[in-house]
Amino acid sequence: MAGQTRVRSLDDPTVFVETPATIYDAIPPYPPRTEREAEFYNLGDGEMLINLGPQHPSTHGVLRVVLKIDGERIVDLDPVLGYLHRGVEKICENGDWHHAISNCDPLEYVASMFSEAMPVLACEKLLDLEVPRRAEYIRVLAWELNRIASHALFMGWIALDLGGLTPILYGFIERDEIVEMLAALTGQRLLFNYLRIGGVNGDLNHEFMSRLGDWMGHAGKRIEDSQNLLNENEIFVRRTKGLGVIDRATALGLCMSGPPLRATGIPYDVRRAHPYSVYPELEFAIPVREEGDSYARYMLHLDEIRQSIHIIDQVLHQMPDGPCMAQIPRLIRPRPGRAFIAIESPRGQYATYAMSDGTDQPFRMRIHDPSYFNLQVMAEIMPGNLIADIMAVMSSLDPIMGGIDK
Amino acid sequence: MAVTKETPRRPPRPARAEGTPRQETRSPEPVQMASDQPSHPMGALVTAADRDVAEPIVVPNTAWTPANPTAYGGGMPAAITHLRELEFGDKSDNARWSGALEIIPTKADYVLDLIRLNSLWPLLSGLACCAIEMMSAATSVNDMDRFGMFPFRASPRQADVLIVAGTLTTKMAGPLVRLWEQMPEPKWCVAMGDCTCSGGRYKRSYAVVEGIDRVMPVDVYVPGCPPRPEGLIYGLLKLQQLIKERRGHWPERRVGPTVPAGV
Amino acid sequence: MLAPVAGRQDTTEIRVSPAEVTDVMRTLHDDGAFRFRVLADLCGVDTGEVMQVVYHLWSENSPDWLRVIVDGLPRDDPRVPSMTFMWKGAEWAERETYDMFGITFEGNRDLRRIYMPPDYTSFPLRKDFYLADDAARSPGEGFRHMEQVRPPAAADRPLLTRRSKVQ
Repeated sequence: MAGQTRVRSLDDPTVFVETPATIYDAIPPYPPRTEREAEFYNLGDGEMLINLGPQHPSTHGVLRVVLKIDGERIVDLDPVLGYLHRGVEKICENGDWHHAISNCDPLEYVASMFSEAMPVLACEKLLDLEVPRRAEYIRVLAWELNRIASHALFMGWIALDLGGLTPILYGFIERDEIVEMLAALTGQRLLFNYLRIGGVNGDLNHEFMSRLGDWMGHAGKRIEDSQNLLNENEIFVRRTKGLGVIDRATALGLCMSGPPLRATGIPYDVRRAHPYSVYPELEFAIPVREEGDSYARYMLHLDEIRQSIHIIDQVLHQMPDGPCMAQIPRLIRPRPGRAFIAIESPRGQYATYAMSDGTDQPFRMRIHDPSYFNLQVMAEIMPGNLIADIMAVMSSLDPIMGGIDK
Repeated sequence: MAVTKETPRRPPRPARAEGTPRQETRSPEPVQMASDQPSHPMGALVTAADRDVAEPIVVPNTAWTPANPTAYGGGMPAAITHLRELEFGDKSDNARWSGALEIIPTKADYVLDLIRLNSLWPLLSGLACCAIEMMSAATSVNDMDRFGMFPFRASPRQADVLIVAGTLTTKMAGPLVRLWEQMPEPKWCVAMGDCTCSGGRYKRSYAVVEGIDRVMPVDVYVPGCPPRPEGLIYGLLKLQQLIKERRGHWPERRVGPTVPAGV
Repeated sequence: MLAPVAGRQDTTEIRVSPAEVTDVMRTLHDDGAFRFRVLADLCGVDTGEVMQVVYHLWSENSPDWLRVIVDGLPRDDPRVPSMTFMWKGAEWAERETYDMFGITFEGNRDLRRIYMPPDYTSFPLRKDFYLADDAARSPGEGFRHMEQVRPPAAADRPLLTRRSKVQ
């Protein structure tokens, strides 16, 4: 090692290498093509363009945000998506309706029961298929467990993005327990491939029920514990309260949904507005907060966890007997037509527009993730804040790049 | 597309016939647009006076080709920067004490290898679903901290291991290779998940790189969709074994498709 | 309107031509009887012959969805007025539709590619864009419909051979 270091003079041409300007640099190497690009990439006095991502320690996924900053204040920002675009819609068009279930799994990978529901519910609507009630109840159970797992992850992430390294460990203990329970039910920890057209893959088994029982015993208590870590923590409160306030008009204009919308005071929950599955028979409240800032969104997630535990309780008490999957042929050819379904995922209104042309391949499977609209609010509310506030706001919006980029 | 010297200029407009109205919004000189629809009227929004673009130096990339041969207009995406490792003429490792004959490791080499494998600091490179399992492997229930891998470094300059967790898309390939180049030697790469091993379930997709070994050298492949945290930890323990035994294709690295041509 | 109002289950569907989209949307949004203020989805469809843009709207007057299909867009230069004047959230959805289909939204201030890199020249979700067929040389080629290499569309051979019509 000692003999291999060479001292080069500063005039050596290999010392300062001209870095080729590529499309990933903050200042793009081509002239602006649209109005918005022109207004964004023409810098005023004292402003600077800097890249945030696509790899950055706040692991929401690969999102690149080009910031226009003036000192520490953000003047404007331009999110660049597509770093996780895998072409799921095109792959769905080439496969079967059954293949679409596992193809759509990794869209919302932290809570993939919801993304599996996309082709399943759409196909059932195209087929006018009635799902057995036990299967519906099992689906709701799986959905609510996924919602709690996703919110547990959210609570860990929002603290991790602000620099707190402990709550994510607690969040992942919670999440691991739920995910192991679902692995006992479905066979997989993350991308379950459990929902089927007409029901679910397999019935509840003993392993799952025993784990669920153990978990229900202390579910509420652990939530309260993790609440105490952050709720009145001065650092957390001062970094999130009053930050990233979204008002109702902006939220509606940006077509937001889910916790960011309910935190502004609009009680829109797809489970109540467009009831699906057996949610009409279950009793739960829609948590709503008025302030619209990051702290309100965080508290709303906690409220939703409590409501989900309440729903799971009712489901376990009301679980009917019966088959767990309807009898349908292996080769499914829905009538030509179009179907639009929307469900409430942990991030908001998750919608699918499916078209069938009578063959066994979906003609068009359009999946619309709630984080896609929710992330657009960043350009509206961030200017004027500091760079450090971006992560506080972005993580409170809870984006998952798998669904945004498809 | 990126402005290169070989980019064809727009063809000159045909001669205007008598009586044809002139378009007011067209700037006097044809503006070279990067837009993929050069005839789109919004492309001519910015006049020549507003442009202030230096001619960048783009080094052509030959190590990776996109799946659809016509995707970039027949050219190459200007995304992947030059791989500096190909420049190293000799294959020796700059970060080793050279022992006698360079084949027999000395005790210092052995100790250094032990030091390195017991504190491999990973780079936070979670792209997709496997990132959740990687975080799950790093947190309390399956703990990677007991192997010394707790600090997930944010900066590639401080990292040893690049655990690529998640699908590598064509757009992300450039930044990922740039991250790899920015990591100092000694460095290792773990391909976690089916998407990074071979493209996985997205093998037919138009925007996915079929396996990261097409763009960077990989030491350990951890298959699974996603692999369980125990699986990832097993892969990392294998990596530790590999470092200890100085096996694998480090330092004799080759970059390029490990899938033979024609398959 | 291009077709009578259709309805199935909980969705009502109307088809309009691209010329009347702005007026229709404005009426649906502002009129007191309708008040369709929630835009749930904006997407594009390539039927093989024409392109369509599909909007899904919701109003608090009814629990049903309204689907507005803008039909009859030509394949070579599809243009639709943009909805960004009414819903700011439509900006990214229109960018995505442009990226995947090539449909130009007139009035969108930011119509550039969102998923694919900016120097990409194809529109992936069109029906004449075929996925790379890496299984073409495998022993199982041709046994499943996913692995058949389709020849390009010709005058006598339409782009899509479908057993039933997609409207």
